[in-house]
Amino acid sequence: MRLLSLAYTYLRVGILNELQYRVNFFIQILQSLIALVVGLIGLWLVFDHTTDLNGWTQPELLAVMGVFILMGGLIRAAIQPNMMRLLDDVQQGTLDFALTKPVDAQVIVSVREFRLWQVVDVILGLGVVVAAVLRLESRFTLPDLLGFLIALALGGVMIYCFWLMLTSTAFWIIRVYELVNLFEGLYAAGRWPVSIYPNWLRFGLTFLIPVAFAVTVPAEALTGRLTPLTLLGAGLLAAGLFLLARLVWRLGVRNYSGASA
Amino acid sequence: MAKIPSLLVVFQRKNKHLPKPIPIIHVARLSKHYQVPVREAGLRQAARALIQRQHRTVKAVDEISFFIHPGEVVGFLGPNGAGKTTTLKMLSGLLHPTSGQVRVLGYEPHRRQRAFLEQITLVMGNRNQLAWDLPALDSFELQRAIYGIPEHEYRQRRDEFIALLDLQDLVHKPVRNLSLGERMKMEIVGALLHRPQVLFLDEPTIGLDVTMQRRIRTFISEYNRRYGASVMLTSHYMADVEALCKRVIVIHHGRILYDGDLSGLVERFSAYKTINLTLKNGPVSLEQYGEVVSQEGSNASLRVPKSETSRITSRLLTEQAVADLTVVDPPIEDVIETVFNQQAEAA
Repeated sequence: MRLLSLAYTYLRVGILNELQYRVNFFIQILQSLIALVVGLIGLWLVFDHTTDLNGWTQPELLAVMGVFILMGGLIRAAIQPNMMRLLDDVQQGTLDFALTKPVDAQVIVSVREFRLWQVVDVILGLGVVVAAVLRLESRFTLPDLLGFLIALALGGVMIYCFWLMLTSTAFWIIRVYELVNLFEGLYAAGRWPVSIYPNWLRFGLTFLIPVAFAVTVPAEALTGRLTPLTLLGAGLLAAGLFLLARLVWRLGVRNYSGASA
Repeated sequence: MAKIPSLLVVFQRKNKHLPKPIPIIHVARLSKHYQVPVREAGLRQAARALIQRQHRTVKAVDEISFFIHPGEVVGFLGPNGAGKTTTLKMLSGLLHPTSGQVRVLGYEPHRRQRAFLEQITLVMGNRNQLAWDLPALDSFELQRAIYGIPEHEYRQRRDEFIALLDLQDLVHKPVRNLSLGERMKMEIVGALLHRPQVLFLDEPTIGLDVTMQRRIRTFISEYNRRYGASVMLTSHYMADVEALCKRVIVIHHGRILYDGDLSGLVERFSAYKTINLTLKNGPVSLEQYGEVVSQEGSNASLRVPKSETSRITSRLLTEQAVADLTVVDPPIEDVIETVFNQQAEAA
């Protein structure tokens, strides 16, 4: 209860803060629209030559793109900014303040930042998803919607865990800013369903950087391809990654306080 | 160096029927050692260090022991790198001790239990915890959520502190637009909203002008008086220590050099006193009495060995026509500097 109210307070303060900078809102809209147009041109180019891509039809690929934009917005609104601040805190020693608070420090470092204007991408992504679903031949049912929401949430959890582990390496290696570029580059692969990639890359995108679970699996739910087994697998993987990320974080904090020395 | 028992402990021994005061901070043979890589200059050495790292142990804190009782304000003095911050970090749970014992409010700090963390606070003069782009009021709100302070208590404390520090007009401004001193005042308000019982203040007045230092000092003193909180303070400004702390702990090279009254520090480490005198009949030669620090017209200032003070004073009074004479201790800064210099030479 206390943790929820804490997260809510941070969210409220973060939103109030961002509302001061309205120019950013318009810049974000422009940026998001450009990204959308570029994405649509890409799709159009592909389907100029063929009618399906490894079993995915045009509206289905549109759904993948929608999820990609939506998830990207979520990551940049809620996950990435927190992790960047954590990096700064470890470098500058201001993490001390988070560690001397009577609340689990992992919660504090995960909820402090929120970039409201990135929500533009979430809304835009949702719009693309709706447009795609309307053009699908199969009927979109309530279980599909439910599966989609669960898959989306699990994907978000997995990306968060991945980011937290990546950021926690800062406790040992201080300079890890390049990681952001690395992540953005790999996430960009999520624009297409992972099934179109060669096996080795698909494995990496599924289990190392869970882009497959963050984008492709929710898109599978939208297009009626999601099997209960995949969803169960996603649940297990999310739980496993969460435990692993927590372990890495705790080891990092131990190292920070010199407990391991 | 022998540890000087605090006044309370001495008092305790003489009055055995009184309940025993429980120290709020209890440190016994506490040490913190760091392993630091040794690297010599030069490319070849750097390359060799990649494969075979040489380490050296640095004793940042070396078997220190002390007690602090409820409501005490203790100044923690020492040159840079003496081990002050390392000790404060161990006391606030940020660093694990290498060996020895620490108890703060009965807890082992490094376990970082909630009940412990709810009762302490850490202020670092060179680091901010308030969000840069937000008005301080928003950051206070976050503190309220973190500590789960009930709404009415939160408002009452916040307004009390804001009034005491005269911040009414500033709480709505983004923190980045405040001056260094104003920001520090805000930091302190934010750090005390949960009304901690133990305050660890690491250089809270660093870089501030004299007026601002005084305001912060007064506020800390007032907080200590109102709520009976214990304060451990490090500062480079002796004025802070003189105004706030009856007791000081002097630390150097990770070891305690002195623990006791501030006045006792001067008594113990200063070998000299200063005699200021005004003569009735103009300048005369005073070299025979001691080292003449200054002499202007009929005013003069002499530095004399402490043990000789009374003998020289009476000689002056009988042999010269003295209009006024005072004997003073040297400034505390000078004493401290002497202590550290002596130690540096000895080391």
